[in-house]
Amino acid sequence: MSQELTGSVPRKEKFVHRTLTGLNPAIESLLAAAVGLIIGAILMLVWGYNPWKAYVALFQGAYGDSYGWASSAASGVPLILTALTFSICVRAGMFNIGAEGQVYIGAAAAVTVGYFVLPGGLNLIVGLIFAMIGGALWSLGPAILKLTRGVNEVISTIMFNWIARFLTFYLVAFVLVDPVRGEKTISIPVSARFPVLVRGTDLSWSIFAAVAFAIVIYFVLWHTVIGYEVRAAGLNPSAARYGGIKSKRTMLLAFILGGLGAGLAGATIVMGNPPTYAIISGLPQLMNTGFDGMAVAMVGRNHPIGIIFASLFFGGLTAGGRTMQFTAGVPLEMVRVVEGVIVLTMAIPELIRVFRVMRSSWSTLMNVLKRRRSA
Amino acid sequence: MVQHRKKEKEAFVKKVLALLLVLVLGVSLAGLANGKVTNGKVGIVLDVGGRGDLSFNDMGFKGTDQAAKDFGLQMDVAQSSTAADYLPNIRNMARSGNYKLILCVGYLLGDALKTAAAEFPDQKFAIIDSVVKAPNVMSVVFRENESSALIGALAAMTAAEKGYKYAGIVLGIEIPVLYHFEAGFRFGMDWGLKKYAEVTGKTPDVGLLYTYTGTFSDIAQGKAATEAMLAQGAVGVYNVAGPLGVGDLEAVTEAHTNAKTTYGPPYYFGVDSDQDWMGNGYHALASGMKRVDNACYNAVKSVVDNTFKGVVLSLGLKQNGVGISGVSQLANFIDFGIAGGAVKADNFYNIIANWALNRATVPAYIWDAIDELDAGILSGKIVVPTANTSDEMKAIRAEYTLGAP
Repeated sequence: MSQELTGSVPRKEKFVHRTLTGLNPAIESLLAAAVGLIIGAILMLVWGYNPWKAYVALFQGAYGDSYGWASSAASGVPLILTALTFSICVRAGMFNIGAEGQVYIGAAAAVTVGYFVLPGGLNLIVGLIFAMIGGALWSLGPAILKLTRGVNEVISTIMFNWIARFLTFYLVAFVLVDPVRGEKTISIPVSARFPVLVRGTDLSWSIFAAVAFAIVIYFVLWHTVIGYEVRAAGLNPSAARYGGIKSKRTMLLAFILGGLGAGLAGATIVMGNPPTYAIISGLPQLMNTGFDGMAVAMVGRNHPIGIIFASLFFGGLTAGGRTMQFTAGVPLEMVRVVEGVIVLTMAIPELIRVFRVMRSSWSTLMNVLKRRRSA
Repeated sequence: MVQHRKKEKEAFVKKVLALLLVLVLGVSLAGLANGKVTNGKVGIVLDVGGRGDLSFNDMGFKGTDQAAKDFGLQMDVAQSSTAADYLPNIRNMARSGNYKLILCVGYLLGDALKTAAAEFPDQKFAIIDSVVKAPNVMSVVFRENESSALIGALAAMTAAEKGYKYAGIVLGIEIPVLYHFEAGFRFGMDWGLKKYAEVTGKTPDVGLLYTYTGTFSDIAQGKAATEAMLAQGAVGVYNVAGPLGVGDLEAVTEAHTNAKTTYGPPYYFGVDSDQDWMGNGYHALASGMKRVDNACYNAVKSVVDNTFKGVVLSLGLKQNGVGISGVSQLANFIDFGIAGGAVKADNFYNIIANWALNRATVPAYIWDAIDELDAGILSGKIVVPTANTSDEMKAIRAEYTLGAP
């Protein structure tokens, strides 16, 4: 008995370190969601809306029937991918905010298949490859700046997002523009669209592309040597370097894998979402996919499998939020406030954990600087 | 030690669960006291522009709300936060089967409605600003080129009179609907400048500044575009981007603050609703009205009287679908602003006084010319060109260059 106990204590301690309350991560997430729901309910009560009716509508719309599930899953598809972009880099010890811009570039690259005529499903595959390459190329900018000049990736990815945004505005308005309808790009040809999976909903076969990518990332990070190196470099860069891991190589890999994911996210939006299958001027269907992905990554605890479930949850908030508006009479703004509260409470445990990791690397950096200054 | 911690944990979970239960019960009791008897429901789906624009979307809302009140219906709103919401929002309402009519307010909903109308052939739909040809869809479009021609003429003549080099338009996303505005404005400016030369005997030198901001929601873009135009010497800007007008007017107001002027140029030209009351009536000279409210009201009415048909209605000056704002609408729309929380009720007379003083800065011969153009369009003597595709727009830009090389 005592033998077993001493054996299990270090394991337990490790576990305690991993979550905020010391509970199982799944239970902790559920608790956080409950706290979010309660705060949301209080907010709705204060502003005179009926929270019970609102939540019933939310859950009905999100998971009430197969239509709800399909709608939730459809909204979650691109988020799986942008969440992976963020979490791969967190695992590698970086804060990559660049998914947003990479989604734009990926979507624009996917639209270019409209100019080719290729046999059969080849169009679809070419579109996906274009999008992934587009996203990855866009991630190379901040990656190269970081690796060669030490530019902080937070700053550079934010800037690259703006460049991507205006570049895509330009591409949509002048290069990829539909000659008949100036407000959108040419539409993706039928042969290159993901077929709709559940009739009468937005859910298409793109969900398989997203889930497959998540599984590939899981496999790479946890079952290959290079993946081990990426995670090791993320946990403790100095120790990893001491152990012979080339941190530049792991960082570059994390950026590129993330870029592939975000580019693919752009493709799933334009190739998998009825009815327009094109980018609309002002990018109203791409906007915030990258940023929402960061929240999904936090809720999914930066783990590919967790992210799949977190995306389904986020998609549920989106799908349910739509029904909440017109069946419970809660205006969209309030719906978004409530969603924001739930997301925030759910992200807090992982946020704190990530900040702890970041702080330790920050303080190491500060110590080095101090030593240099005093020397 | 471990056992103890486990117990503590369990106690914590229990406490939280108990708290949850209490809240759920309390909330569900609160939910019981709510219920109204109505003659049915109408649904309204808005695009990403959304409520609070004090123009297009609020007008659709206002008209539908009025109809719902008059006919004892309940109105439900589905606002879209991204373009991915359009189709699901329409489908959700149609699936419930509770709606006598689902009104889609905005061109951008066109593709989604086309899909949904085929999926739900028994559901009646109406769409504003787009044409969806289906037996269960009533499409309402406007001849905005006619109202924009009036604003264009007013802006161009005022610029010439006051010695400004340009008149400006700040537009939203480059959709065919906005081509109507641009085409009409260009024609109107051209007409106005010719009229100015005819009346005064002077040759005016006034050009056009126009920007498609690519957004119907980012107010800051409207402000930035307006600031740039005013800096180049524009007499005012015509808002053709719904909520961006709030930003446009802010830029105009700041220009007045900096120049320490109260009335006169630079002016703001409103759109869709009568926006003349905005900013307490100081700077909004006139609005190119598009009566989305009437269109929505009539669509709901047609369902109530059983006259609903899957047709395309094109509303121009003649049908009172569009027009330039005058004193007769102002009072009504100040109330609209009060209801929207944008102005205080006791400001009512101040606004009318400010508006009249601002209008007085434009000489009477210009107002007479606008009336002449209005009458000409009404009688069919003057035909305002329009554009629906980018090629047609290019042709009109080439015809009415207005200072562009």
